[in-house]
Amino acid sequence: MFFPSSYPWTENETLGEHLERRGVSRRAFLKYCGELAVVLGVSQALTPQIAEALQKVRRPSVIWLQLQECTGCVESTLRTSDPTIGDLLLDLISLDFNDTLMAAAGDAAEGAMQTAMKENAGKYILIVTGSVPLAADGMYLTMGGRRGRDVLEEAAANAGAVLAVGACAHFGSVQSAKPNPTGAVGVADIVKDKPVVTIAGCPPIADTITATVVHYLTFNRLPETDGEGRPLFAYGKRIHDQCSRRAHFDAGQYVEAFDDEGARNGWCLYEMGCKGPETFSPCPIFQWNSHTSWPIGSGHPCLGCTERNFWDTMTPFYNRLPAVAGFGVERNADHIGLALAGAAVAGVAAHAIATGIHRSKEGHTPHEPAVDLPVVETPAEKSKEERHD
Amino acid sequence: MTPHAKSAEDSFRAGAPVQYRRIYLWHWAVRAMHWVSVLCILTLIVTGTYIAHPYFTTSGEASAHYLMGDVRFVHFTAAGLLVATAMLRVYWLFIGNRFERWSALLPYGKEDWKNMWLVIKRYLFIQPWRAPHYLGHNPLEQATDSFMYLVAIVQILTGFYMFGLATPGGFFFTTFGWVGALFGGAQSVRFWHHLLMWPWMVFIPVHVYMTVRADVVHQESRISSMVGGGRYARADVEFIDD
Repeated sequence: MFFPSSYPWTENETLGEHLERRGVSRRAFLKYCGELAVVLGVSQALTPQIAEALQKVRRPSVIWLQLQECTGCVESTLRTSDPTIGDLLLDLISLDFNDTLMAAAGDAAEGAMQTAMKENAGKYILIVTGSVPLAADGMYLTMGGRRGRDVLEEAAANAGAVLAVGACAHFGSVQSAKPNPTGAVGVADIVKDKPVVTIAGCPPIADTITATVVHYLTFNRLPETDGEGRPLFAYGKRIHDQCSRRAHFDAGQYVEAFDDEGARNGWCLYEMGCKGPETFSPCPIFQWNSHTSWPIGSGHPCLGCTERNFWDTMTPFYNRLPAVAGFGVERNADHIGLALAGAAVAGVAAHAIATGIHRSKEGHTPHEPAVDLPVVETPAEKSKEERHD
Repeated sequence: MTPHAKSAEDSFRAGAPVQYRRIYLWHWAVRAMHWVSVLCILTLIVTGTYIAHPYFTTSGEASAHYLMGDVRFVHFTAAGLLVATAMLRVYWLFIGNRFERWSALLPYGKEDWKNMWLVIKRYLFIQPWRAPHYLGHNPLEQATDSFMYLVAIVQILTGFYMFGLATPGGFFFTTFGWVGALFGGAQSVRFWHHLLMWPWMVFIPVHVYMTVRADVVHQESRISSMVGGGRYARADVEFIDD
């Protein structure tokens, strides 16, 4: 999709004009706009508005920074599979800088970024994947001799919109898991003077990124987000509440081993440590790889990768609950709780026996009550003692 | 210290006839709260254990069953009832008698701490005659019961947070959203909600034992005070909170 096109989108040419020149029918374009409206969760009535806005769009400049990361998000984006015209749209944004995909290297690459930033100041879309290491004065990540933090701050300063894509840019992902040796943080921890839209996930679904960019181009503003900066159209609901296996959860049908009868029948993966009940993500709806499947659909429990600090909070991935720190890896809350409850019952029994021994030493036997039957003294005391002292 | 507590214990031991008077301790609201809570907490423990670890499954078509759905419904209903009784209890903290009021929630002051230590020693069979007597809760009971109130409050808050996750933007989602931030994510909330079930599993046997023991050893009708509201108190024993 980043190969040179024989019909390049020229400067000052609108998308509508360009699509026409390229032979894309208006029917195909409107169909795509309609599908985008579905992804964005807006009314179909807005389809003409989306089409109109997109048609007028001039080739937007996109700078894609890759910081401390594994390139998985770029790989995921390469597999964007929405209507073929979706590829076309990505083709048609001007991806002016991306380490993995660009042919240029060294000074030429750095120069391309500087040029794009200068020429499109205040307008370009900044996509960031990867976290920013802050430990050791940020020296765990240098690009072109500069700290990752400085590169990000410079690029964000004049960006029209900032998209933090992936778990690394969200909160630091695996490199920020305890004890976080490089002091990795997410983009929103550095860029504080403008809203950062977070496309959470490790990696996120490509269509979520595409849809967010289109939302920005269409409405000229970023989509509505939750407290984590995640667009609500994608991250507004839990996986658990959209899951195709939910009926088995409610029915009480659970996979208990990866090769058991329940697994073959596609039962709920709750007992296998599925984090769907804690995870807000569009996976069950958008799905992956040309809408082929998704983790739970293919029989694997959700790891909760769209949630902050999931490497720390969602582990062990194949257990329902975290292990208890300080009691060894195999000790979970129930082992400890059961031991405590057992100790309480045993303690109570021992104490009861001790009480019996103590009393028999003191000359009491349970069969010889040491007191008379009670004499009720004042039947009227209730009214005195009652209520307000 | 009660000056004649030792002699009271002596007469107790000697089997001399003693006079009793009746003390009214717990109003209907407190007693109702206690027994409704017993029902709710036991239900919550049983259903919560199934929700945390569904130890049996159903077979056949999913459409034919709604086991987890029903268990969760019972869990949420019991939780709602528990919260309702908790609200009544909070109200009664302000209008109840001196045994029920907020001032009886926690031990405070040097005297209370000293007496608490004497009570602990009594349960360890160390100089039991030195331990002071109480009509209502002794300082150890106050501290333990209030700790369990705290456990219940944390469980209620974490429970409401998780309940809200199903309806983003709804009342529970927005009202208790801060709980998730406080605990560092939904999974941590779930963990603490689950972990705090175990204090109940320790508290319940100890509480039942202590109450039965008080009836057997001190013959003060503590059990029936939570049924009829009143208890008998020995006329010759001095009570700190008389």
